[in-house]
Amino acid sequence: MFDKHILVLGVGNILLGDEGTGVRLIQKLEEEYVFSENVELYDGGTLGLKLLEPICRSDFAIVVDIVRAGGAPGAIYRIEEKDLSRKIPYKSSLHELNIVETLIYAEELGNKPQTVVIGIEPGDYTSWSTELTGPVRNRMEDFVAAVLGEIENAGGAWKKAEQPVKIGRVV
Amino acid sequence: MARVVIDPITRIEGHLKIEVEVQNGKVTNAWSSSTLFRGLEIMLQGRDPRDAYLFTQRACGVCTYVHGLASIRSVDDALGAKVPDNGRLIRNLLHGAQYVHDHPVHFYHLHGLDWVDIVSALKADPKKTADLTTKVSPNCPGSGVNDFKAVQDRVKKFVDSGQLGPFANGYWGHPAYKLPPEANLMVVAHYLTALRQQARTARLMAIFGGKNPHIQSMTVGGVTCATDLTPDRIAEFKYLWKETMDFVNNVYIPDVLAVASFYKDWGKIGGTKNFLAYGDFPMGPKEPDSFLLPRGAIFNRNLARIEPVDVTQITEQIKHSWYEGDPKGLNPAKGETKPKFDKYDPDARYSWMKAPRYKGEPMEVGPLARVLVAYGKGVPAVKENVDAVLKKLAIPADALFSTLGRVAARAVETKIIGEAMGTMLGQLVENLKKGDLNICDERTWDQMPAEGMGAGLNDPPRGALGHWIDVKDKKIANYQLVVPSTWNLGPRDADDKRGPLEEALMGTPVVDPKRPVEILRTVHSYDPCIACGVHVIDTHSNEVYKFEVV
Repeated sequence: MFDKHILVLGVGNILLGDEGTGVRLIQKLEEEYVFSENVELYDGGTLGLKLLEPICRSDFAIVVDIVRAGGAPGAIYRIEEKDLSRKIPYKSSLHELNIVETLIYAEELGNKPQTVVIGIEPGDYTSWSTELTGPVRNRMEDFVAAVLGEIENAGGAWKKAEQPVKIGRVV
Repeated sequence: MARVVIDPITRIEGHLKIEVEVQNGKVTNAWSSSTLFRGLEIMLQGRDPRDAYLFTQRACGVCTYVHGLASIRSVDDALGAKVPDNGRLIRNLLHGAQYVHDHPVHFYHLHGLDWVDIVSALKADPKKTADLTTKVSPNCPGSGVNDFKAVQDRVKKFVDSGQLGPFANGYWGHPAYKLPPEANLMVVAHYLTALRQQARTARLMAIFGGKNPHIQSMTVGGVTCATDLTPDRIAEFKYLWKETMDFVNNVYIPDVLAVASFYKDWGKIGGTKNFLAYGDFPMGPKEPDSFLLPRGAIFNRNLARIEPVDVTQITEQIKHSWYEGDPKGLNPAKGETKPKFDKYDPDARYSWMKAPRYKGEPMEVGPLARVLVAYGKGVPAVKENVDAVLKKLAIPADALFSTLGRVAARAVETKIIGEAMGTMLGQLVENLKKGDLNICDERTWDQMPAEGMGAGLNDPPRGALGHWIDVKDKKIANYQLVVPSTWNLGPRDADDKRGPLEEALMGTPVVDPKRPVEILRTVHSYDPCIACGVHVIDTHSNEVYKFEVV
């Protein structure tokens, strides 16, 4: 009944405050919602190439990340593929890749899913902290709603869990 | 004299900055600076030691598992936890999975384009490329004329669209590129094969890891993946492992040898003198004696004398780093992290990295250190494989102390560790068949001591990694990490001696200071990994509000 495999890929570093917002969103979805079987939630951390596997086996990818685009902290963005910066600065890539680069690799393999980025403007994303800052925390419900809407558009279904799952998380 | 500064413009305020002086076409001085402060240690104080591995896995964007392993080993060591045979085997298999994934990715995707000219590949004759591949790697699939033609078309499409993707901004056509067009095309084709393979190999980690990429199956004294030890899961692991090893043996290693044969002069460039390996992969209960790749230190390239390692002789010096304290530094067991930034000044303080020293000397860590220590100790599998490489390339053993040696060592150890994974998987199956299902120390947390100091040493792909922990009242009183990139890329020390990368860059030829591909070859050969762990999309756009949705 569901023909498209939808990947919801939250990325970021949860030890650096708002850096981890994408992952925090995945955690929230895991705890509070139930999804149709074609929806896969994935905590991608800060990995690059290792995310190629879940990306390449999906038909539609919703990447959830912080996006620095000049708005006020907490501003929510929807960015389509064509608007993502596509150049990989090869000579400066001294470490692994970012998500935009990883998508280009998927394209090279001929397995790139249709992709959209749902992003949020961060406040502090460089100080060590496991907490989100206020302006981002206050927008989490809106951020979740934006992602749920995107899941629906892509052909996935969701409902609120009757009993929120309590996942004992350390981080 | 020219000053060349390579300061990557990245999504955050910069990672690794390399500054060199070039005189008469050669590097005459070098500075390596990390411009990002890592304060993870401070965050761990006061937390439950069992949880530390969940935090440390998030410290790095690539090597998640190995920071988990080092952390758990530090708690094992502090509290005297005993890891049973199956726990040891599963930890090793997870660690091996990291190696067989990361090393080929480094060669093809993070380093390969320093040696392989992608634009030249477009000029290759697909028929001649197929003939070359039959000679170089006869068992490599997808090596027909049409396969190479298809790769060429695909790359051409990227080039023509003006969007080179991962190939943008290379120094294509630079005279330092030496491969003929056909060899370039062969490796570019395998670059794509490797990309596909790594996506599959990445799944190995998930099988016994519970969750990928941040595994959750570790515990003090062993592992927790009891429910994954089924015939189905083990068969899945074996299948993916075998497929990966076919790629390593039939594609990766032949390619490394083929590329190296055109760059033998790099057997004299990029070398250092001292090497440190913590060693890893315990093949039995005795550590470090049973390590597949042994522990040891080498001074002044003397392979005839491999010294034992005494971790109390490690100091982290800070004369040239942005920290407060004694310039001579402290042993990490008593280490401090007191940041004090003033300004970037190559003559004074210029890095957020401390300068780790062993017995006061800079030490290179990583593939070359591990392979040299094992070679010096006469470990049969290493000796055999290294000698085969030297013979095939017709180069002397001295050529190992170089950038070329570093690349070759990575390939050699991938093969050795990969093959050992097969043995270890067999042992695990035997144990399970006998009814030995024990995977962790049988004592509960409450039965373990409340205090202790411990070191968790391991030797992951990038080199010697140590976590030091001080447990008091079952809480973390102090925590310090000394990571491989700090050993290799750290700054000068209290005696103004250069760090390994700084030393390795000395004398490097630079044909064109504006296009310093030769410097990148040596920098990338260390597989630098510094401030991973940060992730943000920058839109580079002034039209920000058009994206705003809610």
